[in-house]
Amino acid sequence: MKFIETLKLAIAAIWAHKLRSALTLLGMIVGVTAFVVVVSLIAGFNRYVDEKIAGIGAKSFTVQRFNPLEDFKDTDTIAAAQRRNKELTLDDYDYLRERATLVDKIGARARVTPSEVKRGDNVLEDVFVSGATANCVDIENRDVAEGRFIAEPENDNGARVAYLGADIADKLFSGSPIGQEITIRGLPYRVIGVEVAKGTVFGIPQDNFIIIPLKTYSINYGGLIRQRSLYFVATARNDDLFNDAVEESRFLMRARRKLGPSEKDNFGIVTPDAITGLRDRLFGTIFIVAIAVPGIALVVGAIVIMNIMLVAVTERTKEIGIRKSLGARQMDILKQFLVEAATLALLGGAVGVLLAWIIGFVVSAWIFPTYLSILAVAAALGVSGGAGVASGIFPAWKAARLDPIEALRAD
Amino acid sequence: MSNATLTLSPWETEVKPTTPLDGHDPSMLISMRNIWKTYQMGTESVHALHGVSFDIPRGEYIAIIGPSGSGKSTLMNLIGCLDTPSQGEYWLNGKNVSEMDDDELARIRNQEVGFVFQTFNLLARATALHNVELPLIYGGIGAAQRHEMAKKALTAVELTDRMMHRPNELSGGQRQRVAIARALVNRPSILLADEPTGALDSHTSNEIMDLFERLHSEGNTIIVVTHEHDIAARAHRVVSIRDGLIEKDERIK
Repeated sequence: MKFIETLKLAIAAIWAHKLRSALTLLGMIVGVTAFVVVVSLIAGFNRYVDEKIAGIGAKSFTVQRFNPLEDFKDTDTIAAAQRRNKELTLDDYDYLRERATLVDKIGARARVTPSEVKRGDNVLEDVFVSGATANCVDIENRDVAEGRFIAEPENDNGARVAYLGADIADKLFSGSPIGQEITIRGLPYRVIGVEVAKGTVFGIPQDNFIIIPLKTYSINYGGLIRQRSLYFVATARNDDLFNDAVEESRFLMRARRKLGPSEKDNFGIVTPDAITGLRDRLFGTIFIVAIAVPGIALVVGAIVIMNIMLVAVTERTKEIGIRKSLGARQMDILKQFLVEAATLALLGGAVGVLLAWIIGFVVSAWIFPTYLSILAVAAALGVSGGAGVASGIFPAWKAARLDPIEALRAD
Repeated sequence: MSNATLTLSPWETEVKPTTPLDGHDPSMLISMRNIWKTYQMGTESVHALHGVSFDIPRGEYIAIIGPSGSGKSTLMNLIGCLDTPSQGEYWLNGKNVSEMDDDELARIRNQEVGFVFQTFNLLARATALHNVELPLIYGGIGAAQRHEMAKKALTAVELTDRMMHRPNELSGGQRQRVAIARALVNRPSILLADEPTGALDSHTSNEIMDLFERLHSEGNTIIVVTHEHDIAARAHRVVSIRDGLIEKDERIK
């Protein structure tokens, strides 16, 4: 018997019991829908994060006082890190810049201070003002919309120039802000550039900032410690050398601070891998739970299918007898019920995927980006089809083994 | 077998096989030799058939008659290759069926035997045409050829205009004719009918029996299993079964 005949037979049998088939498949549909929705959500989130990380800067790492992934686990590690780790200094910066051979560019940054910014009567509170060296524009992949970033001489001289986030420029100026004057913390600054609008990441606005030269920041805001902590951002000569560049910087910092081999780093280095690694650790757990729950629904769905297939075999004992009397072999009957179970389950899987796609579409439009990968669809269909085959084996085997005489005698 | 009679129970010695032949006759379509069928009922062995032997030549119209419990259903199941004998040899169309496994038997049923049942045994959800196509599907015949053959078979039983009807849209006589078309569609060696008129009124019964006569005159070998004497009387040879043995084997036409 050809496969296409078996398949036609299966579809006819399923169609003959439309309502029963639909009810049978509820568990499977719920399981597959939940599975695909969860996978789409996580895939969407991952892509979102990857995109944003890529936007933050192509493969750069930072050297800073603390390593947030290790030092900020609990109060004890924070206290230990506060005792152990020392503030970075501009001397550290010069040291690294002179000696790190694998580093392409290294820039110095200071953490933000929320500040009051004025232009005429227009006042903005809590604008994130930070300091940076001139080369940070390249290291941090900043896209300049208008004007330019800070120039090196401006940093060396502590010039009062400001590079604005898009929101600040929009709120303070109607025309071009370049060359105009604004007041930051009571001191006048000249606007030299505006950055391309970046929008929000997880609802946090990214364009509410002003960057001024690092030296200007240290003069006007005070020493580059604590809240104004100094940190360095660096890129490697090329991507292949990235990890080596990170290790080189770590080695240089340890040498400069004269750390023994058994001592921990008293500074922190953060790489994009560490951030994605943290995300993967976090979401790995959620992922397992999120897969396990629909998995249970899928198992229940498979059991329901097995049950209904057993009912079908009993109901159709006579049919099996007739088919056997007409020359159906055991394998023909086995295939018939196996294909019927698999088709039923696959149908459930397909409906589940369709529902998940609709849900994903709605969620993407209103709440959160989702991403339905071909792999997730294939996995869902594969698992549901597999569950169908698994749940069909026993009933199909029972049907195939029926004695034709007994089967013909059934009502 | 001669010394075996010494150990037989008293009632078994009374009736001897009517055709005590040695070896099968290759010229015969059906050749049964000393067929036993034993069922295990708990600890007890029940012999449904004990030592049945007979031959059926090609093109014969034969009735197997006997009361219920005589073993005629068992014999029919064996002839139809739905079952294998516990002992003895069954040769059908030159093949020793008694030693075949399930799949080989299925193939024989498909190629050599056409069943007609008392309750028609049509698939309720399928059209007459699809019902007739079933043996061809299991015979691995392609769709186009299958349609042709099934249509021809339905035309032969005068159901040309009922092909797309389902069994519940057909009368009893029409259903039995669909079943006959299905039995003949694969050109089997034997047409095996089990109480073919049992579920029909006398008028329709006559029609079906007329059809059998016509099929016989066209060269088909027909075996009718029945307990009704007037149905058996239409055959050319009647084999009577009683207590698992052939009681009488007579040619009446």
